[in-house]
Amino acid sequence: MSKTIASIWSSLVGLLVEDGRFALGAIGALAITWLASGTLGDASGWLLLAVVLALVVSNVLSVGLRLRADRP
Amino acid sequence: MREFLIAAVPSFLASAVEFVEATTIVLAVGVTRGWRAPLVGTLAAVVTLIAIIAAVGVALVTIVPEHLLQAIVGALLLLFGVRWLRKAILRFAGIVALHDEEVAYQRELAELRASGLRKTEFDWTGMVVSYKAVLLEGTEVAFIVITLGSTSALAMTQAVAGAIAAGVLVVGAAVLVRHPLTTVPENWLKFFVGAMLTSFGVFWFAEGVGAHWPGDALSIPLILALFLAASWLSVRIIRSLLPRGAEVAARHV
Repeated sequence: MSKTIASIWSSLVGLLVEDGRFALGAIGALAITWLASGTLGDASGWLLLAVVLALVVSNVLSVGLRLRADRP
Repeated sequence: MREFLIAAVPSFLASAVEFVEATTIVLAVGVTRGWRAPLVGTLAAVVTLIAIIAAVGVALVTIVPEHLLQAIVGALLLLFGVRWLRKAILRFAGIVALHDEEVAYQRELAELRASGLRKTEFDWTGMVVSYKAVLLEGTEVAFIVITLGSTSALAMTQAVAGAIAAGVLVVGAAVLVRHPLTTVPENWLKFFVGAMLTSFGVFWFAEGVGAHWPGDALSIPLILALFLAASWLSVRIIRSLLPRGAEVAARHV
């Protein structure tokens, strides 16, 4: 039973998380937007957009750079 | 019209990708082991998924306040979408192998043939394999339908309709050709759907925390264009960093 629950939980988490650092970065972007929404107002949407764009680009580029450094 | 564009269309596109993958496995089971067990497994998984969508979807729409619901939906769509988008960028950059439905089909055929079948018994293996495949891919469809549709009853209807249309189209095409739908540009669809779900996530989360976008939902195409442009630029940069043949297993990144 516990094995089945663990498997279901793992599948659900797998829907949202593949790279732990990347997922944490996305959650951080959401938290920053939520905290800044009181002072930034409508601009907080653009802040979220900018942070997520930067997160995606920096994450995939870091993968590329890491692989290049690892190559013999 | 607004609900059609923000719920039915994205639900259709995202669900089509998942249906193609589930159909490949069910086809493999049917071709190698007969059709009774995979059809029973598929039906059981569909019933399970309808129960999940009805229970979670109705609970979300009726219990959670509107702004909180928008924020929750936005956060889930964003987390779900960026995961797809990241993988799609790495695929197009040559770091992760492109998804090939024919390879997936042949691998499934080989595994199923190897497991054998006694003709006198009900084929539990075939049923379980089909049930798991449809449930796994269908959970993603359920997730997409619930999140895209949870902002209103009309949006939910449109999201469900989009998913059903995708299912009918994909399964219908597979029944006609009796082969995996290898001509569906699945990798391109995943790239686009990843960017699209991420864009919806950004839009809804910002709305949920009280921000308003210029032109309301009309700003979604602009957000989507920015994600597609940034993703494509990333692909080009990585390709210039790594010569061709740098493919590694997905688990390594």
